[in-house]
Amino acid sequence: MAGPLLKVERLHKAFGTHEVLRGIDLEIDEGEVMCIVGPSGSGKSTLLRCLNYLEKPKSGAVFLKDEPIGVRWQGDRLYEMTFDQLARQRRRMGMVFQGFHLFPHKTVLENVIEAPIIVNRTPRRKAVEEAMALLEKVGMKDRAHYHPAQLSGGQQQRTAIARSLAMRPELMLFDEPTSALDPELVGEVLATMHQLADEGMTMVVVTHEMGFAREVADELVFMDEGVIVEQGKPADVLLNPQHERTQTFLARMREEA
Amino acid sequence: MRHPGHWIGAVVLFICAAVFLEILVTNQNLQWPVVASYLFSPDILEGLGRTILLTLLSMVIGLAVGVVLAIMRLSANRLFRVVSWGWIWFFRGVPPLVQMIFWYNFALLMPEVSIGIPFGGPKLAAWDTNTLISPFSAAILGLAFTESAYAAEMLRAGIQAVSGGQTEAAATLGMTQLQTLRRIVLPQALRIVIPPIGNDTISMLKFTSLVSVLALPDLLYSAQMIYARTYQTIPLLVVATLWYLVLTTVLTVLEHAVERSFSVGETSRRAHTPWWQRLFRRPFARQREQAA
Ligand SMILES: Nc1ncnc2c1ncn2[C@@H]1O[C@H](COP(=O)(O)OP(=O)(O)OP(=O)(O)O)[C@@H](O)[C@H]1O
Ligand SMILES: [Mg+2]
Repeated sequence: MAGPLLKVERLHKAFGTHEVLRGIDLEIDEGEVMCIVGPSGSGKSTLLRCLNYLEKPKSGAVFLKDEPIGVRWQGDRLYEMTFDQLARQRRRMGMVFQGFHLFPHKTVLENVIEAPIIVNRTPRRKAVEEAMALLEKVGMKDRAHYHPAQLSGGQQQRTAIARSLAMRPELMLFDEPTSALDPELVGEVLATMHQLADEGMTMVVVTHEMGFAREVADELVFMDEGVIVEQGKPADVLLNPQHERTQTFLARMREEA
Repeated sequence: MRHPGHWIGAVVLFICAAVFLEILVTNQNLQWPVVASYLFSPDILEGLGRTILLTLLSMVIGLAVGVVLAIMRLSANRLFRVVSWGWIWFFRGVPPLVQMIFWYNFALLMPEVSIGIPFGGPKLAAWDTNTLISPFSAAILGLAFTESAYAAEMLRAGIQAVSGGQTEAAATLGMTQLQTLRRIVLPQALRIVIPPIGNDTISMLKFTSLVSVLALPDLLYSAQMIYARTYQTIPLLVVATLWYLVLTTVLTVLEHAVERSFSVGETSRRAHTPWWQRLFRRPFARQREQAA
């Protein structure tokens, strides 16, 4: 395929008068893993949420395989999509949240088969088969019939990853997937994500885990105050940052670690 | 003794209970044989059936309207919100007894009910109001609309208690708004409102006794009709009382069963309360527990 899988062009976003994103340009190729780092409040979550139109950008555009997200052309006029039209596009991008957001009234298995059955109308038996395979992959097969409240944070997050994967997304968005976890549970979630990356999944990961970024990312993006300050191979950005803001940020991260 | 107050209180209560029991057993005016002879009489049983029917129909209609009202109330559409607010304001504010009498006399306001183009346009169908409004339908309207207002407010709280994160998660899975509402939000909201709905059902059962003003032979009015004839007022009121107590007890047990079947998997988080303790549970105590 020619061209990037996901393309972000001159993206701006403001909450009221507060400019949170001030002109973001990005390209993500198929199979690429991109990690986004930056200080709190720099707009990382907002950027990720603009990618699948959970937030509506003020200006600029996001393209998934050249298809604009959230808007469509009709003749020569541009229209905002309805929620249901958006839903068709959102299926193509999985998203994993800091707070898991599993459906608490459903078991692990039911969480995973919900969207395939309801949205894709996959026959239940096939959905269960595929879900069990996914749960095995994320190491949750033996907990398939537990409810989220009975699981550790790490287990919940791995379930959330399986739930997203069940829709066979073309790329996965992760917003600080390990930030809400006890330190001893971070590893298991990162390992699952590492495995996913090795299998060729395209991933955009907002994270504070520099070790993960160095090992897994193909591209590291450093954001501050709504702009991309620096971007490149993780080894380059981490070991040889060009900008002062990047240097300060990395120094502080090292202190905390 | 560390708590003399407890002991004095216990003795006083014991004496009161003994006196009460003595009255129950020995007071001739209670006429237990008469109570026994009417307890299962056809008139009373028919009235009992009507009371149950009124309760269930009013609750089902009230809840159905309440779901729609709650969704309208949370809608992005301002007109929906205002209409829902107005409905809730009105039907929560007017006593069900007043409503029933009002509905029963609806023909005085609107002699004919019709479907068609409003403001003087052609009519597709029309009915005489007096044939539509029977004591029974007037009672159902009054009770169900009152319930709809209460149910809407409970359901709104229930819906709002479902985290926005889940709705977003559902959106990223490609679910439509309707799918999210039906599959994710409503099942959880309904579960949250089961305890208050259980309480409402019990209240509704008691409210149905108001229909005696419409001369609708429910449990109470059937008893009243009998004692108007036989002057056995007290024994027949006892008959009605016993049946009301039986019904509220059954409803409490049912509510417990429903609640348990809905909370499978969450049991680990919840202390198990036996149903006999729940008979005396303070309303909404459970919700406060959950919020904590
Ligand atoms: N819904 C909102 N309404 C108003 N302001 C918002 C909203 N969401 C985010 N913001 C503001 O936008 C800015 C960027 O927020 P964002 O969550 O994108 O930062 P972040 O880089 O993800 O930070 P963190 O590392 O703490 O998660 C912050 O100043 C935040 O207060
Ligand atoms: Mg964030």
